[in-house]
Amino acid sequence: MNSVTLSMHVSDIEKLFREQNRALIAFLQCRLNSLSDAQEVAQEAYLRMLTMDNRDEVDSLRGYLFKIAGNLAIDRLRKRKVRSEFAVVQAQDEPVDEDSPVHHVVAVEQALSVRRALSELPAKTARAFVMHVIEGRDFSHVAQTMKLSERMVRYHVAHALAHCRAHVDETEVP
Amino acid sequence: MTNKQQDHTMQVAAQWWAKLREPHAGDDVVEQWLAWTSEDERHLQAFEQVSALAERLGTLDPMSRHALLRDFARPTPARQRWLPLAAAASIAVAMLCGVFYVAWMQRAAGVAAQVYQSGVAQNRDFILPDGTKVALGAASSLRVTYGSDERDVEVRGGEAYFEVVHDRRRPFVVTAGNVTVRDIGTAFDVRRTGERVTVAVTQGRVAIADRHAQANPHDTLEARAGQRVSYDPDASSMTVDLITPAQATAWRSDRLEFIDEPLSVVIANLNRYASKPVHVADTDLNVLSYTGTIRTDAIDSWVEALPEVFPLRVSTQAGQVVLSDARHTQR
Repeated sequence: MNSVTLSMHVSDIEKLFREQNRALIAFLQCRLNSLSDAQEVAQEAYLRMLTMDNRDEVDSLRGYLFKIAGNLAIDRLRKRKVRSEFAVVQAQDEPVDEDSPVHHVVAVEQALSVRRALSELPAKTARAFVMHVIEGRDFSHVAQTMKLSERMVRYHVAHALAHCRAHVDETEVP
Repeated sequence: MTNKQQDHTMQVAAQWWAKLREPHAGDDVVEQWLAWTSEDERHLQAFEQVSALAERLGTLDPMSRHALLRDFARPTPARQRWLPLAAAASIAVAMLCGVFYVAWMQRAAGVAAQVYQSGVAQNRDFILPDGTKVALGAASSLRVTYGSDERDVEVRGGEAYFEVVHDRRRPFVVTAGNVTVRDIGTAFDVRRTGERVTVAVTQGRVAIADRHAQANPHDTLEARAGQRVSYDPDASSMTVDLITPAQATAWRSDRLEFIDEPLSVVIANLNRYASKPVHVADTDLNVLSYTGTIRTDAIDSWVEALPEVFPLRVSTQAGQVVLSDARHTQR
């Protein structure tokens, strides 16, 4: 790219950032279950966009951004898996001070309201949700264990998640 | 947006979340999701909310996580076996005596043991010689033995809340049936219903052990503030779940709080406060579990309302209130 097309490219990426960053972060948080990891991966994705050398082959910059970000997320999940096999499982990416009474009260209250919400759901729905969201098992594992299709597992998990969201009081969360 | 629309948006957001979780979801799925988010700004907002909730629930503290897995992720929800009613009720019956008194007894070793006891419907607060504060529930009994190297308290029945003055060289140890609780700088509540024991920690940490399993140090469990450990004598097992400090000590403000506890245990504890004892006539009622609050000044109306939530009948016979199974034919 010459300097004119390069500066055009940079301003395209800036525009992409302004318009899509929030959705990109949300997409990555969903994949990675960690907002801080999502922010890091997004940074890297923009960097790759800035230094891409196949601009002519790409018809949708937005599509390409999400594709790169999705692949980076897969890499990161793979690394996490390796890390947890060799070291202590890192359940929490951001260390929190568990002894802090504030943290504790929040965590406990939240777990209590989740428990209440889950007990209102059919056992299967609660089980699929707890295995996937709380235990961190992937859909295929849950499907095998529960002898359900992955589509049904996704249905149960989504249903429980919406139900919990409606019942976990957001004011308890800082 | 109306609540209904909000609920619907949240449902759809959660469905998208589950769809996008799949690491190899196709580009077209992402495109469709992006189209949905650009339809209405509340869509992305709802998606962010479910996503953030999932992250928080995926990073719960280990104890909360463990308790939720235990209760919801098991193949068949195996409920604990229940304590036979007779054992639970016997304590309540034994405690019907009148007022609070303190008695001195001599132990063989010459260390003085002191017994603290309270009457039905009478909570008592007092301070032990080392400054440890004790709130004793109604119809409850403690035996306190302070030796030179250990402070021992036995919960003989009922409930007590301790705010312990920590002394590393002279540990504070509470025993209740088979369960021992060792303080590690702490406030906690111990409730003994027959041989069934619950320990609720409101501050600091405690180490809890089954006395019969002491050969194995792995049977010692450390519980923190906000956690409740329940000992089931039939299974000799301890389970951990969550309780807020306010719930654990609600009885001090004349409210009895129960979280998923067998009716037999609820009734036995209620009888520590009831002017007319309640008796469960049909043992199959004891498998019912109850979660809720009972005001100690409104026990009668709570009992009267029971048939609305449980399949049982309430009657009065010879001065005591009797609960019987409504599914049985009238006798």
